[in-house]
Amino acid sequence: MNRFFYIIIATIFISSCEVIEGPYMTGTIDPIDTTNNQYVKNILIEDFTGHTCKNCPDAARELDAIHDVYGSQIIGLAIHAGQTFARPYPIDPTGNPDEKFIYDFRTSWGEELDGFFQVSANGLPKGMINRIDYSSSGDHRKDWGEWANIVGDELSKDVLFGISIEINQTPLMLSDQFDIIINSEALSAMSGNYKLVVCLTENNITNWQKDGDIDDESYVHKHVLRSFLTPTFGEDLAAEEINNGDNFSNGYSPVISTLENNNINHSQNTLTLGNGNAGDWDLNNMYVLAYIYDESNNEILQVEEKSLLNK
Amino acid sequence: MNKFSTLLQNKMKNRFLTFLFLISCCNLIAQNNGQITGDFSLNLQSYVEDAAINAAAADEVVLNNAFLNLTYSSNNFIIGLRYESYLNALLDYDSEFRGNGVPYRYAGYTIDGLEITAGNFYEQFGSGLIFRSYEEKGLGIDNAMDGIRLKYKIGKGISLKSFIGKSRTFFTYAEGIFRGIDAEIDINETFELENATKYILGGSFISRYEQRTNPKFIIPQNVAAYAGRLNILNGGWNYYGEFAYKINDPINSLQENQMNYASGSAFTNSLTYSQRGFGITAEIHRADNMLLLSERERTGKAYIMNYIPTLSKPHAYTLLAIYPCATQAMGELGVQLDIFYKIKKGTLLGGKYGTKLNFNFSRINGLEGGYSILNDNQNHTPALFDFSQELYYSDINIEINKKVNKNVRYNAVIANQTYNKDFLEGKTPGEYGVLNSTIAVLDLSYRIKKGHTIRFETQALFSKQLETASKEAEGDWLMVLAEYTISPNWFFAIQDMYNYGNENESKRLHYMNLNVGFLKGSTRFEIGYGKKREGIFCVGGVCKLVPSSNGLNLSITTSF
Amino acid sequence: MKKTIVFLTSIFFCTTIALAQEKSLPNIDVKTLQGKTINIQDLENDGNPMVISFWATWCKPCKKELNTIAEVYDDWQEETGVKLIAISIDDTRSMSKVAPYVNSSDWDYEVYLDSNSDLKRAMGVSTVPHTFLINKEGKIVWNHKGYIDGDEEELYEQIQHLVTKQNEK
Repeated sequence: MNRFFYIIIATIFISSCEVIEGPYMTGTIDPIDTTNNQYVKNILIEDFTGHTCKNCPDAARELDAIHDVYGSQIIGLAIHAGQTFARPYPIDPTGNPDEKFIYDFRTSWGEELDGFFQVSANGLPKGMINRIDYSSSGDHRKDWGEWANIVGDELSKDVLFGISIEINQTPLMLSDQFDIIINSEALSAMSGNYKLVVCLTENNITNWQKDGDIDDESYVHKHVLRSFLTPTFGEDLAAEEINNGDNFSNGYSPVISTLENNNINHSQNTLTLGNGNAGDWDLNNMYVLAYIYDESNNEILQVEEKSLLNK
Repeated sequence: MNKFSTLLQNKMKNRFLTFLFLISCCNLIAQNNGQITGDFSLNLQSYVEDAAINAAAADEVVLNNAFLNLTYSSNNFIIGLRYESYLNALLDYDSEFRGNGVPYRYAGYTIDGLEITAGNFYEQFGSGLIFRSYEEKGLGIDNAMDGIRLKYKIGKGISLKSFIGKSRTFFTYAEGIFRGIDAEIDINETFELENATKYILGGSFISRYEQRTNPKFIIPQNVAAYAGRLNILNGGWNYYGEFAYKINDPINSLQENQMNYASGSAFTNSLTYSQRGFGITAEIHRADNMLLLSERERTGKAYIMNYIPTLSKPHAYTLLAIYPCATQAMGELGVQLDIFYKIKKGTLLGGKYGTKLNFNFSRINGLEGGYSILNDNQNHTPALFDFSQELYYSDINIEINKKVNKNVRYNAVIANQTYNKDFLEGKTPGEYGVLNSTIAVLDLSYRIKKGHTIRFETQALFSKQLETASKEAEGDWLMVLAEYTISPNWFFAIQDMYNYGNENESKRLHYMNLNVGFLKGSTRFEIGYGKKREGIFCVGGVCKLVPSSNGLNLSITTSF
Repeated sequence: MKKTIVFLTSIFFCTTIALAQEKSLPNIDVKTLQGKTINIQDLENDGNPMVISFWATWCKPCKKELNTIAEVYDDWQEETGVKLIAISIDDTRSMSKVAPYVNSSDWDYEVYLDSNSDLKRAMGVSTVPHTFLINKEGKIVWNHKGYIDGDEEELYEQIQHLVTKQNEK
């Protein structure tokens, strides 16, 4: 009696396998229908990385692949953080004639986020997808292999906020000064503590990066965090009940060269192993990135990005 | 996953349940002829900052790992649990071991020859090529399964086992659901043959289910692996061979070049001959794309579900093990030869008591063109046997063990090891190159009087870097150790490791250590103080990185 | 805090009960060097004592202990009829070296393989060497962890003590 039962279990188990034959790619991905939706759910992928982290380019490439599949709903942000993989090498014409890894991609806000979310301390590359699953044991830190799946699940969530970014310059202003207005709209009734964070990023910075076994001189760093216009953990958007259709407007007037100098000064602090080489920003590649998050669980509810010079 | 971790770490609920369990089992003892057994272990270390050896202080100053195993068994029934405490875990353990909990608990019952286990269990199929769930406390590995396991003996000489479950990682469980079945037939026993030659045949099958959706690629949600093994015994001869095959197991990426639909394979063969005074073992193994993880895209030893042991000798002496070989389950080809010989007593070389010799040779190299890759753009299968590929590790050594007279014994080892530091430690090629080390060890013990013995160990390592590398490796080492033991309870040891050959003068450091221990019955206390070199500690080819440290360590183990 | 006290007292309570008992061998299978599976509870020695010693080919003190006892094993067997069972916890990395090592060392012990540490866990062994003394009823009467030169003499005293106790009955 026992034998018979056992053999049945055996045959059931053995039937559980799938062999996939090529071609391995599926055909199409359904595009999002935006005809009726003024706002779609965007996803912020914060990729914590470093220029001497040889496994990090794999994560950056995965982010690009996800962007290729899902389009403009995916917004990436590369945060170079931690002393192990992001610190710049000292400027040393004799010891380092090729000037490898002498750029300092770090920022004070990036370090602060890294410290709060304990990312680089647990190894790089690691990322956060809309900062979901925040916990003290680090469930919010996601390995890049998990990103594709999480993004798929995130995109099916309801859109709670809509963000639109307005960027203006008047002839009276300096050539690198901008008026940035973030207009947010609540798309349903909610209550909680919601905060708005606005930052600046720069895309396509060509500089050294360790990539697997090689040191790549012409690696293109994408969407690198440059500066924050709000405090690191944002400013209050609304602190009481919000009704469907409520509008909020926040304005900022940064002068980019001032922000660049702040970063250079921050980098000259030798205690954090900086070397002051954090400048040479290119306005043409810069973007304004704004996101709204729920303070109770750190989850980002909406994010939006716009090119600074409207490119 | 979150739910599991909160359940396990829900202290209140767990403590209450275990309390109930303990009280009820204590009552049961009075009624049945059951018994309680267990063991306890505590390992505490203090970390003080030491810039010279690059040792960091721990914020907590003192770190501690501890566990307690309790088992109640009676006739056909067994219940057990393990309480683990990491407050916080020692620096050489994964930082995800944090807090306390009962991550291991099970109940087992045997009825009519069918053995049922519900809860956590450890299991190995064959030699572990496709599946091994085990614990290795020293490395911080514990991938116990949580589920149901059945073991059954069908008739004479046929035994079956099967299970379904999830694998443990730290205080939670990995996503993959494993189903497995293994059968072993002792042919001589089943068919009642009277041959001198014995045959044992075995087969196993494992399948992992993990849900995945990928908009770009087709990902199999059920990944299967199977293996077949054969053991042939005849007198002093013993042949063991196992072959394993894993069907496509790509990760969940959206990048085309990361996707690998190639199947994996591995085989291991060993041929042994032994008789009185002589033994010889020859082994060969190959692994190609044979890493089975409990969660597809994870990295780290906590997620590895199969076991391909490294084909090199496990050295017990420090300097012989400072450059250890880690198994490359993704692609390696290795061979090993061991010869054991005892020179008879009374002969010239044998001396009064005989001399034991052990010769060992092992060599591990990579696969031609790397491991198998298959996707829409690439299709590569490496050659089956190619010993000319990149050398990862090789070791040739001879060990001599001899009792000189009633009071003096010695053990001497001389070895030459080649260690591809760049590849095995994941560094950029050309950074350190390949190290070639010649190591000599002399371990001499002298019995002063009954119960009092003093032992001296001297070890020397002469190393050179074979190619011009961009960074200097450590260079030559010297180690001396003196240990005084008083039977049956005490031991005292002092040792020093000195990196005298380091090119960088400031790195010519002494790593001194003092250890005192007390043993009584099944309890052992040990206190040590000193500096530890940063190193790699491996067991069976699975390695962990041990950071350098300076401080006090205390260890207590007992069983009851 | 209260729950911790409750938990710890119940552990203490059960530990004292545990310590007061004489344990018997667990119901676990091991393999012989010929690949046959046997249950550890089926081992017997005609009413004479048995010593079960856990060792591994990579464990120096284990090999030292077993080699030292091998030199006097014939005498021990003549005087007390004791049988030593050596359980090797070598896993598949070094399992194939057990038979050649045992044979080339001229051991007369019964050697069994416990390659996934099932018996080791069931008997509460955390480090090797760990040696147990079993009486004729299959109960563990003495055990000792570790090996220091000279410990074999204490083991032998315990064996002799057990034999005299058993002869008295």
